[in-house]
Amino acid sequence: MKIEDIKFEQKASQRIYNDYMKRIKKATSSLSKINQDDIYMEFNSHIYESIQHKNKTNEIDSLLDIIEKLGIPEEVLKPLIADKKLEQATKTFNPVHVFKALILNFTNGVSYIFFFVLYLFLFGFVFLIFAKIFYPSLVGLHIKPDSYSVFILGIVNPESDLKKQTIEVLGNWFIPVMLLSIVLFYFLITLLLKLKKSINQKTLS
Amino acid sequence: MNETFVTNWKSQVKKGTLTFIILNVLKNSEYYGYELIEQIRKHTEIEIAEGTLYPLMNRLKTEELVDSKWVEQETGIPRKYYSLTEAGIETLSQMNIYWENLEKSIKKIIQ
Repeated sequence: MKIEDIKFEQKASQRIYNDYMKRIKKATSSLSKINQDDIYMEFNSHIYESIQHKNKTNEIDSLLDIIEKLGIPEEVLKPLIADKKLEQATKTFNPVHVFKALILNFTNGVSYIFFFVLYLFLFGFVFLIFAKIFYPSLVGLHIKPDSYSVFILGIVNPESDLKKQTIEVLGNWFIPVMLLSIVLFYFLITLLLKLKKSINQKTLS
Repeated sequence: MNETFVTNWKSQVKKGTLTFIILNVLKNSEYYGYELIEQIRKHTEIEIAEGTLYPLMNRLKTEELVDSKWVEQETGIPRKYYSLTEAGIETLSQMNIYWENLEKSIKKIIQ
C-alpha cells in the first residue's frame, strides 16, 4: 500500500508533522519494512483523522494537541517495538534480531536478563574458538585426571598450578565441539524465547 | 480522604479494564484507531494516552483476539479497521460473565 503523507497549509505545521513522522521512522528502524510501514501508516492515519475531527481553526494548535496526546514516539512505541522484535526474532532465528529483541525486552522482566546471560555464553564459545587458534596449547577443556571434580573450559595460565594438575581432553576436537555448542545453545535460547513468549501470552489472556 | 490513593486506584482500575472495554466496544462494530478512542471516551469517559492504544491493539492481535485490515480511503490516507475474531468473541463472552459475577459480589459488599 502506498504511503501518502499529510499536506498542511502552514509551513510550520508541515515541519512539525515531518519531524514527528521522521522520529517514528527512526524509532522503528530496527523492525522489518512491513512492520515499519504499518506503524508509520497507523500513526499517520491517526493524525489525519484527528485533524479532520478537530474544530479548531488554527492548524498548528490542532497538530500540537494531537501530537501531545499521541506521546513521544520513542517512548510510546517502545513496547510495540519490543513485541514486534521478539516476534521477528523467534520467527527468523536470526542472531542479530534475537540479540536486539533481548536488549529491547531487558526491562520486561528478570527472565530476559537470564536470556541475555545465556547469549553472552554463546559469544564466549565464539571467543574460545579464536583463542584456541591463537593459543592452541593453553585453551581447551581442562580436567583434573584423578577426580574429574575440576574442569575449566577456557584459557589456563601456563605457569599456574592448575595447568600442572589438569590435562586437556578435547585436543583437536575443541573447535568442532565449540561450534556444535554454539549451534545447540543458539537453538536452545531461541526455543526458550518462543516458550517464554507463549507463556507471556497465556498470562495476559 | 487520601486523594492520591484514590487517584492511583482509579488509574489502576482504568488500566486493568482497558482491554475489556476495547473488546466490548468492538463487539458490535469494527473501528479504526481514532474512532475506537472516541468510542472509549464516549462510553466510559476514560481519557487514554492515545499512543498507547496501538501497542495494546498489537498485543490483542498477537493473542488472536482481534484482527485488522487496511481500507483505502478517497482521501489517500488509509484506515486500519479492527474487529473481533471468533476467538475474541468467545473470550469476551467469558470475560463478561466473570465481570457480571464480580459486579454482583462487589455490590453485595458495598451495601
